[in-house]
Amino acid sequence: MIRSLFSLAFAVALLLPGVVLAQEQAFANRATELKDRPSFDGRTLSPVPDGTAVKVLSRQGGWTQVDMGGNKGWIRVFHLRFPSTVEQSSGGGALSGLTSIFGFGGGKRGPESSKVATIGIRGLTPEDFQSSSPDPAALKKLQSYRSDRASAERFAKEAKLAPVRIDYAKGS
Amino acid sequence: MNRVFALAVLAAVAVALPVHAQLGNIGNILEFGKKAVEVGTKVQEATKEYSIDEEIALGEGITSGFLGATKLHPDERLQRYVNRVGRWLASQTEKPDLPWTFGVIDTETINAFAMPGGTVIVSHGLVKRLASESELAGVLAHEIAHVLRRHQISAIQSGAWGDVGKSVGAEIIAQKVGRNDVLGLKTQLANFGADLVRDGLFMKPLDRGLEYEADRIGVVIATRGGYDPYGLVAVLTMLATVKPEESGASITFSTHPSPADRIAELEKVVPATLEQYARQPQVDGRFRQAVGMK
Repeated sequence: MIRSLFSLAFAVALLLPGVVLAQEQAFANRATELKDRPSFDGRTLSPVPDGTAVKVLSRQGGWTQVDMGGNKGWIRVFHLRFPSTVEQSSGGGALSGLTSIFGFGGGKRGPESSKVATIGIRGLTPEDFQSSSPDPAALKKLQSYRSDRASAERFAKEAKLAPVRIDYAKGS
Repeated sequence: MNRVFALAVLAAVAVALPVHAQLGNIGNILEFGKKAVEVGTKVQEATKEYSIDEEIALGEGITSGFLGATKLHPDERLQRYVNRVGRWLASQTEKPDLPWTFGVIDTETINAFAMPGGTVIVSHGLVKRLASESELAGVLAHEIAHVLRRHQISAIQSGAWGDVGKSVGAEIIAQKVGRNDVLGLKTQLANFGADLVRDGLFMKPLDRGLEYEADRIGVVIATRGGYDPYGLVAVLTMLATVKPEESGASITFSTHPSPADRIAELEKVVPATLEQYARQPQVDGRFRQAVGMK
Protein backbone atom coordinates (compact mmCIF):
# COMPACT_ATOMS: atom_id res chain seq x y z
CA MET A 1 0.00 0.00 0.00
CA ILE A 2 2.64 2.42 1.10
CA ARG A 3 4.81 1.13 -1.64
CA SER A 4 2.18 1.84 -4.23
CA LEU A 5 1.90 5.37 -2.99
CA PHE A 6 5.61 5.81 -3.28
CA SER A 7 5.66 4.37 -6.73
CA LEU A 8 3.01 6.83 -7.67
CA ALA A 9 4.80 9.72 -6.01
CA PHE A 10 7.90 8.63 -7.74
CA ALA A 11 6.24 8.54 -11.12
CA VAL A 12 4.94 12.04 -10.53
CA ALA A 13 8.37 13.27 -9.52
CA LEU A 14 9.82 11.99 -12.74
CA LEU A 15 7.39 14.04 -14.71
CA LEU A 16 8.51 17.20 -12.95
CA PRO A 17 12.21 17.66 -13.65
CA GLY A 18 12.33 20.66 -11.35
CA VAL A 19 11.90 18.41 -8.33
CA VAL A 20 15.30 16.88 -8.87
CA LEU A 21 17.93 19.21 -7.51
CA ALA A 22 21.45 19.71 -8.70
CA GLN A 23 23.69 16.84 -7.82
CA GLU A 24 26.32 18.80 -5.94
CA GLN A 25 23.95 20.52 -3.59
CA ALA A 26 23.52 19.57 0.05
CA PHE A 27 22.09 21.11 3.19
CA ALA A 28 23.24 21.10 6.77
CA ASN A 29 20.92 18.75 8.63
CA ARG A 30 21.79 20.33 11.98
CA ALA A 31 23.73 23.27 13.31
CA THR A 32 27.38 22.42 12.70
CA GLU A 33 30.75 23.92 11.83
CA LEU A 34 32.84 24.61 8.78
CA LYS A 35 36.39 23.39 9.43
CA ASP A 36 39.57 24.39 7.65
CA ARG A 37 40.60 20.75 7.24
CA PRO A 38 38.94 17.32 7.35
CA SER A 39 39.45 16.73 11.03
CA PHE A 40 37.75 17.33 14.36
CA ASP A 41 40.97 19.12 15.29
CA GLY A 42 40.66 21.54 12.40
CA ARG A 43 40.09 25.21 13.00
CA THR A 44 36.47 26.33 12.82
CA LEU A 45 36.08 28.78 9.97
CA SER A 46 32.44 29.50 10.55
CA PRO A 47 29.33 28.19 12.24
CA VAL A 48 26.88 26.49 9.86
CA PRO A 49 23.23 26.99 10.77
CA ASP A 50 20.80 24.11 10.30
CA GLY A 51 19.50 24.06 6.74
CA THR A 52 22.38 25.98 5.18
CA ALA A 53 22.80 25.20 1.48
CA VAL A 54 26.30 24.22 0.38
CA LYS A 55 27.95 22.97 -2.78
CA VAL A 56 29.79 19.68 -2.43
CA LEU A 57 33.36 19.65 -3.77
CA SER A 58 34.98 16.45 -2.55
CA ARG A 59 35.17 13.89 0.21
CA GLN A 60 37.88 12.71 2.53
CA GLY A 61 37.19 10.13 5.19
CA GLY A 62 34.19 11.26 7.19
CA TRP A 63 34.41 14.79 5.87
CA THR A 64 32.94 16.57 2.89
CA GLN A 65 34.60 19.56 1.32
CA VAL A 66 32.02 22.22 0.55
CA ASP A 67 31.65 25.67 -0.84
CA MET A 68 29.41 27.65 1.48
CA GLY A 69 28.65 30.93 -0.22
CA GLY A 70 32.21 31.28 -1.43
CA ASN A 71 33.67 30.07 1.82
CA LYS A 72 35.44 26.74 1.31
CA GLY A 73 35.90 24.26 4.11
CA TRP A 74 35.00 20.87 5.51
CA ILE A 75 31.76 19.64 7.09
CA ARG A 76 31.21 16.29 8.75
CA VAL A 77 29.60 13.96 6.21
CA PHE A 78 26.82 13.00 8.61
CA HIS A 79 25.89 16.64 9.07
CA LEU A 80 24.74 17.02 5.49
CA ARG A 81 21.45 16.13 3.94
CA PHE A 82 21.44 15.44 0.25
CA PRO A 83 18.45 16.27 -1.87
CA SER A 84 17.03 12.84 -2.24
CA THR A 85 15.25 11.49 -5.22
CA VAL A 86 12.97 9.73 -2.78
CA GLU A 87 12.16 11.75 0.28
CA GLN A 88 10.92 8.96 2.49
CA SER A 89 11.63 5.33 2.91
CA SER A 90 9.16 2.67 2.15
CA GLY A 91 7.96 0.32 4.84
CA GLY A 92 10.00 -2.60 3.60
CA GLY A 93 8.30 -5.07 5.90
CA ALA A 94 8.82 -8.21 3.96
CA LEU A 95 12.16 -9.93 3.74
CA SER A 96 13.77 -9.56 0.44
CA GLY A 97 15.33 -12.39 -1.33
CA LEU A 98 18.72 -11.29 -2.37
CA THR A 99 18.80 -7.70 -3.30
CA SER A 100 20.86 -5.39 -1.28
CA ILE A 101 21.98 -1.97 -2.26
CA PHE A 102 18.67 -1.64 -3.95
CA GLY A 103 16.32 -4.33 -4.96
CA PHE A 104 13.93 -4.29 -7.77
CA GLY A 105 10.87 -2.55 -6.60
CA GLY A 106 7.23 -3.20 -7.08
CA GLY A 107 7.15 -6.35 -4.99
CA LYS A 108 3.61 -6.88 -6.09
CA ARG A 109 2.81 -7.68 -9.63
CA GLY A 110 0.00 -5.25 -9.94
CA PRO A 111 -0.90 -2.17 -11.85
CA GLU A 112 1.36 -0.05 -9.65
CA SER A 113 4.51 -2.02 -10.25
CA SER A 114 3.92 -2.20 -13.97
CA LYS A 115 3.47 1.55 -13.93
CA VAL A 116 6.88 1.96 -12.37
CA ALA A 117 8.44 -0.54 -14.68
CA THR A 118 7.47 1.41 -17.76
CA ILE A 119 9.30 4.57 -16.75
CA GLY A 120 12.44 4.64 -18.81
CA ILE A 121 14.18 1.66 -17.31
CA ARG A 122 17.23 0.48 -19.07
CA GLY A 123 18.93 -2.69 -18.08
CA LEU A 124 17.31 -5.20 -15.78
CA THR A 125 13.58 -5.34 -15.38
CA PRO A 126 11.32 -7.69 -13.45
CA GLU A 127 10.27 -9.12 -16.79
CA ASP A 128 13.86 -10.14 -17.50
CA PHE A 129 13.78 -12.33 -14.43
CA GLN A 130 10.36 -13.77 -15.06
CA SER A 131 11.40 -15.06 -18.45
CA SER A 132 14.92 -16.16 -17.54
CA SER A 133 16.20 -19.65 -17.99
CA PRO A 134 19.28 -20.74 -16.06
CA ASP A 135 22.61 -20.12 -17.74
CA PRO A 136 25.12 -22.68 -16.38
CA ALA A 137 27.77 -21.60 -18.92
CA ALA A 138 27.66 -18.03 -17.63
CA LEU A 139 27.88 -19.35 -14.07
CA LYS A 140 31.00 -21.26 -15.01
CA LYS A 141 32.50 -18.21 -16.63
CA LEU A 142 31.72 -16.12 -13.56
CA GLN A 143 33.42 -18.68 -11.34
CA SER A 144 36.49 -18.65 -13.57
CA TYR A 145 37.11 -15.05 -12.45
CA ARG A 146 37.53 -16.05 -8.82
CA SER A 147 40.62 -14.98 -6.95
CA ASP A 148 42.35 -17.18 -4.42
CA ARG A 149 43.16 -15.93 -0.99
CA ALA A 150 46.90 -15.61 -1.54
CA SER A 151 46.67 -13.50 -4.68
CA ALA A 152 44.05 -11.31 -3.03
CA GLU A 153 46.54 -10.73 -0.24
CA ARG A 154 49.29 -9.74 -2.66
CA PHE A 155 46.83 -7.45 -4.39
CA ALA A 156 46.02 -5.76 -1.09
CA LYS A 157 49.67 -5.29 -0.27
CA GLU A 158 50.30 -3.60 -3.60
CA ALA A 159 47.92 -0.85 -2.53
CA LYS A 160 49.39 -0.72 0.97
CA LEU A 161 46.19 -2.00 2.50
CA ALA A 162 47.00 -3.17 6.00
CA PRO A 163 44.39 -5.36 7.69
CA VAL A 164 43.18 -4.25 11.12
CA ARG A 165 41.39 -6.26 13.77
CA ILE A 166 38.13 -4.75 14.92
CA ASP A 167 34.85 -6.19 16.09
CA TYR A 168 31.49 -5.63 14.51
CA ALA A 169 29.52 -2.84 16.07
CA LYS A 170 27.24 -3.81 18.92
CA GLY A 171 23.90 -5.05 17.72
CA SER A 172 25.31 -6.39 14.46
CA MET B 1 21.20 -35.55 9.55
CA ASN B 2 21.43 -32.38 7.58
CA ARG B 3 19.39 -33.93 4.86
CA VAL B 4 16.62 -34.64 7.25
CA PHE B 5 16.66 -31.09 8.42
CA ALA B 6 16.71 -29.73 4.91
CA LEU B 7 13.72 -31.87 4.12
CA ALA B 8 11.99 -30.55 7.17
CA VAL B 9 12.68 -27.03 6.04
CA LEU B 10 11.28 -27.55 2.61
CA ALA B 11 8.24 -29.30 3.96
CA ALA B 12 7.66 -26.57 6.48
CA VAL B 13 8.00 -23.94 3.84
CA ALA B 14 5.39 -25.67 1.74
CA VAL B 15 2.95 -25.73 4.60
CA ALA B 16 3.58 -22.30 5.95
CA LEU B 17 2.37 -20.60 2.83
CA PRO B 18 -0.68 -20.45 0.72
CA VAL B 19 -0.67 -22.95 -2.07
CA HIS B 20 -0.66 -21.45 -5.51
CA ALA B 21 -1.89 -23.58 -8.27
CA GLN B 22 -0.10 -21.64 -10.98
CA LEU B 23 3.24 -23.25 -10.31
CA GLY B 24 2.92 -26.12 -7.98
CA ASN B 25 1.79 -29.60 -8.60
CA ILE B 26 -1.36 -29.78 -6.53
CA GLY B 27 -1.25 -33.53 -6.25
CA ASN B 28 2.21 -33.50 -4.80
CA ILE B 29 1.37 -30.71 -2.43
CA LEU B 30 -1.57 -32.62 -1.04
CA GLU B 31 0.36 -35.83 -0.89
CA PHE B 32 3.16 -34.37 1.12
CA GLY B 33 1.24 -31.79 3.02
CA LYS B 34 0.61 -34.15 5.90
CA LYS B 35 4.26 -34.93 6.33
CA ALA B 36 5.01 -31.26 6.14
CA VAL B 37 2.67 -30.50 9.01
CA GLU B 38 4.51 -32.98 11.20
CA VAL B 39 7.85 -31.32 10.65
CA GLY B 40 6.63 -27.77 10.37
CA THR B 41 7.26 -26.97 14.00
CA LYS B 42 10.89 -27.84 13.57
CA VAL B 43 11.47 -25.14 11.05
CA GLN B 44 13.53 -23.00 13.38
CA GLU B 45 16.09 -25.64 14.16
CA ALA B 46 15.98 -26.81 10.61
CA THR B 47 16.93 -23.37 9.40
CA LYS B 48 20.03 -23.42 11.50
CA GLU B 49 21.02 -26.82 10.20
CA TYR B 50 20.97 -25.88 6.55
CA SER B 51 24.43 -27.01 5.54
CA ILE B 52 27.07 -24.93 3.82
CA ASP B 53 27.04 -27.30 0.86
CA GLU B 54 23.32 -26.92 0.51
CA GLU B 55 23.60 -23.17 0.79
CA ILE B 56 26.22 -23.17 -1.97
CA ALA B 57 24.12 -25.41 -4.21
CA LEU B 58 21.09 -23.20 -3.78
CA GLY B 59 23.19 -20.12 -4.45
CA GLU B 60 24.59 -21.59 -7.64
CA GLY B 61 21.09 -22.29 -8.87
CA ILE B 62 20.04 -18.74 -8.07
CA THR B 63 23.12 -17.32 -9.75
CA SER B 64 22.57 -19.46 -12.80
CA GLY B 65 18.98 -18.26 -13.01
CA PHE B 66 20.08 -14.70 -12.43
CA LEU B 67 22.63 -14.88 -15.24
CA GLY B 68 19.91 -16.11 -17.52
CA ALA B 69 18.26 -12.72 -17.11
CA THR B 70 21.31 -10.57 -17.63
CA LYS B 71 24.83 -10.72 -18.98
CA LEU B 72 28.27 -10.63 -17.44
CA HIS B 73 30.25 -7.54 -18.37
CA PRO B 74 32.75 -8.47 -21.09
CA ASP B 75 35.72 -6.73 -19.42
CA GLU B 76 37.55 -9.69 -17.88
CA ARG B 77 40.18 -7.46 -16.35
CA LEU B 78 37.47 -5.63 -14.46
CA GLN B 79 35.92 -8.95 -13.40
CA ARG B 80 39.21 -10.16 -11.96
CA TYR B 81 39.86 -6.84 -10.29
CA VAL B 82 36.51 -6.94 -8.51
CA ASN B 83 37.20 -10.52 -7.48
CA ARG B 84 40.50 -9.55 -5.87
CA VAL B 85 38.92 -6.72 -3.91
CA GLY B 86 36.06 -8.96 -2.85
CA ARG B 87 38.23 -11.93 -1.97
CA TRP B 88 40.47 -9.73 0.13
CA LEU B 89 37.47 -8.42 2.05
CA ALA B 90 35.94 -11.86 2.49
CA SER B 91 39.25 -13.05 3.90
CA GLN B 92 38.73 -10.62 6.78
CA THR B 93 35.52 -12.33 7.86
CA GLU B 94 34.45 -15.33 9.88
CA LYS B 95 33.83 -17.28 6.67
CA PRO B 96 37.00 -16.79 4.66
CA ASP B 97 36.75 -20.14 2.91
CA LEU B 98 33.40 -19.97 1.19
CA PRO B 99 33.76 -20.19 -2.61
CA TRP B 100 33.64 -16.39 -2.84
CA THR B 101 32.77 -15.27 -6.32
CA PHE B 102 32.26 -11.73 -7.53
CA GLY B 103 30.93 -10.47 -10.80
CA VAL B 104 29.97 -7.37 -12.74
CA ILE B 105 26.88 -7.52 -14.89
CA ASP B 106 26.55 -5.56 -18.08
CA THR B 107 23.66 -3.28 -17.21
CA GLU B 108 23.39 0.40 -16.48
CA THR B 109 20.92 -0.24 -13.69
CA ILE B 110 22.37 0.68 -10.31
CA ASN B 111 22.25 -2.41 -8.16
CA ALA B 112 24.11 -5.08 -6.27
CA PHE B 113 23.12 -8.56 -5.20
CA ALA B 114 24.22 -11.28 -2.83
CA MET B 115 23.47 -14.94 -3.40
CA PRO B 116 23.63 -17.65 -0.73
CA GLY B 117 26.95 -19.40 -0.50
CA GLY B 118 29.23 -16.50 -1.39
CA THR B 119 28.38 -15.01 -4.78
CA VAL B 120 28.16 -11.22 -5.05
CA ILE B 121 27.12 -9.33 -8.15
CA VAL B 122 27.38 -5.61 -8.86
CA SER B 123 26.03 -3.80 -11.89
CA HIS B 124 28.32 -1.90 -14.19
CA GLY B 125 26.01 1.08 -13.74
CA LEU B 126 26.91 1.11 -10.07
CA VAL B 127 30.63 0.45 -10.51
CA LYS B 128 31.10 3.30 -12.95
CA ARG B 129 29.54 5.76 -10.51
CA LEU B 130 32.02 4.91 -7.77
CA ALA B 131 35.07 7.05 -7.17
CA SER B 132 37.51 4.69 -5.47
CA GLU B 133 38.30 1.15 -4.45
CA SER B 134 37.19 1.98 -0.90
CA GLU B 135 33.72 2.73 -2.25
CA LEU B 136 33.68 -0.53 -4.19
CA ALA B 137 34.85 -2.22 -0.99
CA GLY B 138 31.93 -0.63 0.87
CA VAL B 139 29.45 -2.07 -1.62
CA LEU B 140 31.04 -5.53 -1.74
CA ALA B 141 31.40 -5.68 2.04
CA HIS B 142 27.71 -4.88 2.44
CA GLU B 143 26.88 -7.78 0.14
CA ILE B 144 29.36 -10.05 1.88
CA ALA B 145 27.55 -9.26 5.14
CA HIS B 146 24.29 -10.51 3.64
CA VAL B 147 26.02 -13.78 2.78
CA LEU B 148 27.68 -14.12 6.19
CA ARG B 149 24.41 -13.61 8.03
CA ARG B 150 22.52 -15.82 5.59
CA HIS B 151 19.90 -13.17 5.09
CA GLN B 152 18.83 -14.70 1.81
CA ILE B 153 18.51 -18.19 3.21
CA SER B 154 16.35 -17.04 6.08
CA ALA B 155 14.21 -14.96 3.75
CA ILE B 156 13.63 -17.94 1.52
CA GLN B 157 13.01 -20.33 4.39
CA SER B 158 10.80 -18.00 6.33
CA GLY B 159 8.64 -17.71 3.27
CA ALA B 160 8.17 -14.05 4.03
CA TRP B 161 9.37 -13.05 0.62
CA GLY B 162 6.34 -14.28 -1.19
CA ASP B 163 3.82 -16.87 -1.99
CA VAL B 164 5.27 -18.25 -5.17
CA GLY B 165 8.29 -19.94 -3.64
CA LYS B 166 6.09 -21.99 -1.40
CA SER B 167 4.67 -23.98 -4.20
CA VAL B 168 8.09 -24.35 -5.74
CA GLY B 169 9.23 -25.68 -2.40
CA ALA B 170 6.43 -28.19 -2.46
CA GLU B 171 7.61 -29.49 -5.78
CA ILE B 172 11.02 -30.07 -4.38
CA ILE B 173 9.65 -31.93 -1.43
CA ALA B 174 7.82 -34.22 -3.74
CA GLN B 175 10.86 -35.06 -5.77
CA LYS B 176 13.10 -35.35 -2.79
CA VAL B 177 10.80 -37.57 -0.83
CA GLY B 178 10.12 -39.69 -3.86
CA ARG B 179 13.75 -40.38 -4.64
CA ASN B 180 15.41 -39.99 -1.30
CA ASP B 181 18.54 -39.18 -3.22
CA VAL B 182 21.48 -37.42 -1.61
CA LEU B 183 22.99 -35.98 -4.77
CA GLY B 184 19.53 -35.20 -6.03
CA LEU B 185 19.11 -32.76 -3.20
CA LYS B 186 21.84 -30.59 -4.58
CA THR B 187 20.39 -30.70 -8.00
CA GLN B 188 16.94 -30.01 -6.74
CA LEU B 189 18.20 -27.15 -4.63
CA ALA B 190 19.91 -25.64 -7.64
CA ASN B 191 16.73 -26.02 -9.65
CA PHE B 192 14.82 -24.52 -6.80
CA GLY B 193 17.19 -21.55 -6.84
CA ALA B 194 16.70 -20.97 -10.54
CA ASP B 195 12.94 -21.17 -10.06
CA LEU B 196 13.12 -18.64 -7.25
CA VAL B 197 14.68 -16.15 -9.64
CA ARG B 198 11.89 -16.62 -12.17
CA ASP B 199 9.27 -16.42 -9.50
CA GLY B 200 10.25 -13.03 -8.23
CA LEU B 201 13.02 -13.41 -5.71
CA PHE B 202 14.72 -10.26 -6.97
CA MET B 203 11.56 -8.24 -7.02
CA LYS B 204 10.77 -8.43 -3.35
CA PRO B 205 11.32 -5.44 -1.11
CA LEU B 206 14.05 -5.58 1.46
CA ASP B 207 13.64 -5.81 5.15
CA ARG B 208 15.17 -2.58 6.29
CA GLY B 209 16.53 -4.11 9.48
CA LEU B 210 18.62 -6.54 7.45
CA GLU B 211 19.85 -3.74 5.23
CA TYR B 212 20.96 -1.69 8.19
CA GLU B 213 22.68 -4.71 9.67
CA ALA B 214 24.52 -5.37 6.40
CA ASP B 215 25.57 -1.71 6.34
CA ARG B 216 26.93 -1.87 9.88
CA ILE B 217 28.81 -5.10 9.25
CA GLY B 218 29.94 -3.93 5.83
CA VAL B 219 31.72 -0.82 7.07
CA VAL B 220 33.60 -2.92 9.61
CA ILE B 221 34.67 -5.48 7.00
CA ALA B 222 35.91 -2.74 4.66
CA THR B 223 37.81 -1.15 7.54
CA ARG B 224 39.33 -4.51 8.49
CA GLY B 225 40.57 -4.74 4.91
CA GLY B 226 42.49 -1.52 5.46
CA TYR B 227 40.16 0.75 3.51
CA ASP B 228 38.77 4.13 4.45
CA PRO B 229 35.71 3.22 6.53
CA TYR B 230 33.61 5.88 4.85
CA GLY B 231 33.48 4.22 1.43
CA LEU B 232 29.97 2.92 1.94
CA VAL B 233 28.79 6.25 3.33
CA ALA B 234 30.14 7.91 0.20
CA VAL B 235 28.27 5.45 -1.99
CA LEU B 236 25.03 6.08 -0.12
CA THR B 237 25.61 9.79 -0.53
CA MET B 238 26.04 9.29 -4.25
CA LEU B 239 22.89 7.17 -4.39
CA ALA B 240 20.94 9.87 -2.63
CA THR B 241 21.71 12.27 -5.43
CA VAL B 242 21.35 10.00 -8.44
CA LYS B 243 18.70 11.17 -10.82
CA PRO B 244 16.67 8.09 -11.56
CA GLU B 245 15.74 9.12 -15.07
CA GLU B 246 19.43 9.26 -15.91
CA SER B 247 20.45 6.13 -14.13
CA GLY B 248 17.89 3.54 -15.06
CA ALA B 249 17.45 3.12 -11.34
CA SER B 250 13.87 4.11 -10.89
CA ILE B 251 12.58 0.66 -10.08
CA THR B 252 15.23 0.26 -7.47
CA PHE B 253 14.34 3.45 -5.72
CA SER B 254 10.75 2.64 -5.06
CA THR B 255 10.90 0.08 -2.28
CA HIS B 256 13.83 0.54 0.04
CA PRO B 257 15.16 2.48 2.95
CA SER B 258 16.33 5.76 1.53
CA PRO B 259 20.07 6.35 1.36
CA ALA B 260 19.55 9.23 3.79
CA ASP B 261 18.00 6.88 6.35
CA ARG B 262 20.85 4.43 5.90
CA ILE B 263 23.44 7.15 6.36
CA ALA B 264 21.66 8.25 9.54
CA GLU B 265 21.71 4.67 10.82
CA LEU B 266 25.40 4.38 10.09
CA GLU B 267 26.11 7.57 11.97
CA LYS B 268 24.98 5.79 15.12
CA VAL B 269 27.78 3.24 14.89
CA VAL B 270 30.50 4.52 12.64
CA PRO B 271 32.13 7.35 14.58
CA ALA B 272 32.53 5.40 17.78
CA THR B 273 34.18 2.37 16.28
CA LEU B 274 35.80 3.52 13.09
CA GLU B 275 36.79 7.16 13.22
CA GLN B 276 40.35 6.28 14.17
CA TYR B 277 40.71 4.49 10.82
CA ALA B 278 39.44 7.41 8.76
CA ARG B 279 42.85 7.99 7.23
CA GLN B 280 43.12 4.52 5.74
CA PRO B 281 43.51 4.67 1.95
CA GLN B 282 40.71 5.13 -0.55
CA VAL B 283 42.82 3.63 -3.37
CA ASP B 284 41.49 5.62 -6.27
CA GLY B 285 44.30 5.35 -8.83
CA ARG B 286 44.10 1.59 -9.24
CA PHE B 287 40.32 1.76 -9.22
CA ARG B 288 40.18 4.31 -12.03
CA GLN B 289 42.49 2.20 -14.11
CA ALA B 290 40.45 -0.95 -13.54
CA VAL B 291 37.14 0.63 -14.50
CA GLY B 292 38.65 2.39 -17.47
CA MET B 293 38.37 5.95 -16.18
CA LYS B 294 41.03 8.36 -17.26
